Amino acid sequence: MKCPRCDSEQTRTMVKSPVGDVWEVYVCEVCWYSWRSTETPVVLEKFKLTPEKITELGVIPPIPPLD
Amino acid sequence: MAKVYKDLREFLTTLEEQGQLVRIKDEVNPEPDIGAAGRAASSMPNGPAVLFENIKGYKGSVVTNVHGSWQNHALMMGMDKDTPTKEQFEELNARWDKYPVPPNVVSREEAPCKENVITEDINLFEVLPLYRINEQDGGFFISKASVISGDPEALDDFGRQNVGTYRIQVKDKDRIGIQALPMHDIAVQLAKAERKNEPLPVAIALGNSPLVTFMASTPVGYSQNEYEFVGALQDGVATDIVPADTAPHLLVPAGAEVVLEGYIIPRVRVCEGPFGEFPGSYSGSRLQCEIQITRITHRTDPIFENLYLGMPWTEIDYLMALNTSVPLYKQLKEGFPEVKAVNAMYTHGIGTIVSIKPRYGGHAKGAAMRLLSTPHGMPYAKIVIMVDDFVDPFNLEQVMWALTTRVLPHKDVTMIENAAGMPLDPSSYPAGMTTKLIIDATTPVAPEPNPRPVELLKDPVGTAKYTEIIKGLIQAAEEE
Ligand SMILES: [Zn+2]
Repeated sequence: MKCPRCDSEQTRTMVKSPVGDVWEVYVCEVCWYSWRSTETPVVLEKFKLTPEKITELGVIPPIPPLD
Repeated sequence: MAKVYKDLREFLTTLEEQGQLVRIKDEVNPEPDIGAAGRAASSMPNGPAVLFENIKGYKGSVVTNVHGSWQNHALMMGMDKDTPTKEQFEELNARWDKYPVPPNVVSREEAPCKENVITEDINLFEVLPLYRINEQDGGFFISKASVISGDPEALDDFGRQNVGTYRIQVKDKDRIGIQALPMHDIAVQLAKAERKNEPLPVAIALGNSPLVTFMASTPVGYSQNEYEFVGALQDGVATDIVPADTAPHLLVPAGAEVVLEGYIIPRVRVCEGPFGEFPGSYSGSRLQCEIQITRITHRTDPIFENLYLGMPWTEIDYLMALNTSVPLYKQLKEGFPEVKAVNAMYTHGIGTIVSIKPRYGGHAKGAAMRLLSTPHGMPYAKIVIMVDDFVDPFNLEQVMWALTTRVLPHKDVTMIENAAGMPLDPSSYPAGMTTKLIIDATTPVAPEPNPRPVELLKDPVGTAKYTEIIKGLIQAAEEE
């Protein structure tokens, strides 16, 4: 199963519905996008990610130097 | 004595009695129904809270738009639901001065939030009906949590304990991302822990009494404790708190529906976002902190309280309206007793209107510059409009009158370049840098020349009497 945001195959089922077997939630272990099986995710082009883009994202808050 | 609510449930009961809460009993899908209902309710005049009782695949219920109208806001204060905004501002101001009202620390047995405990196989989805709020959000967000954290260098300093609202993205069954912007109190505490490579313990309280949630989203000083303000805003009635189980130095609201306990994983940043934010646009993905959840305590049949945010106005705009205005007013009033009121309701104070009775030429502009250097005003306030004391800054028709008849742009409009801004304001560039704009719409006072002084129109004698007569005639016609 491909991640709708970064196209990675490193996805897994995060959780199944607590009541009945009516949906599952999936998560991508590269970009941490998550979606429910009842959704049809359409990620806008501007929000798509690649492993390179992820390393270039801003860091909030910055990590301070060790004492 | 104003009506005070011990917990969310008591408030929901009052909202329902006052016609300000509706229940949706039919089964709904988590997406897009819950987000859509939050959007719809906050767009309505007198918008009610919406309680979903039956969500496909989940056990519990969700309530949204609890703070999402001036009626609900007034009821939160224990006031008549039709109280005008300026009167609510004035009442908040008066209660603010009761600070500090020390909270009441109750025993574990007395705290409803401890009714159930989960320490193994933690699964947030078992406790909270999580859902995507807006379509392009990168996951399921918790948008209305009160996050409690302490200063690692002063664990027992209650004043420096912080209760704040931060956006939270569910990353896994037992792990969540949190946005701690450098300007936020929690970032100061986190930096101290991360310098030592130590985890920062946190507790996250969901579904609180309405003034706890209100105070968690109020900008107060670093050494001021939010719970002591809750007591003040509850008209002097102390709020009940209880130590967290895993980090007893953290005190959580005793009546919370759910408390998540855990720690910020030190020196780790993971992809988070996008998230539809309060300026009405998405903020993109960033590398942000993550929290490992190690324990959940919750009331039996917990209610998940969450809010919708999107194009203003939505619930978050009501939640951040007067609690942004009052602290700015108090901070400004210290140096400028001539200030009458502050309306900082536009996009969390990015737009702020101040009414003042200036004593001398340039006085109003000086007050605007003070506003721009208050702790909240520094990053947030960008467009500041100064109006005369007789203009109600909450009445935009009156504010527009002041702008159109009092402003000579070449001398009354000032821009201050290269100043601190709010990164989520998409016009700030680079993110967090902006230009400040001051518009002085007050009447010139000496030594500033006022070459064309005017005589202001006054209401004719009898206007008040005729207001009542006309109201009575309308009422009589309606009753026929
Ligand atoms: Zn991905």
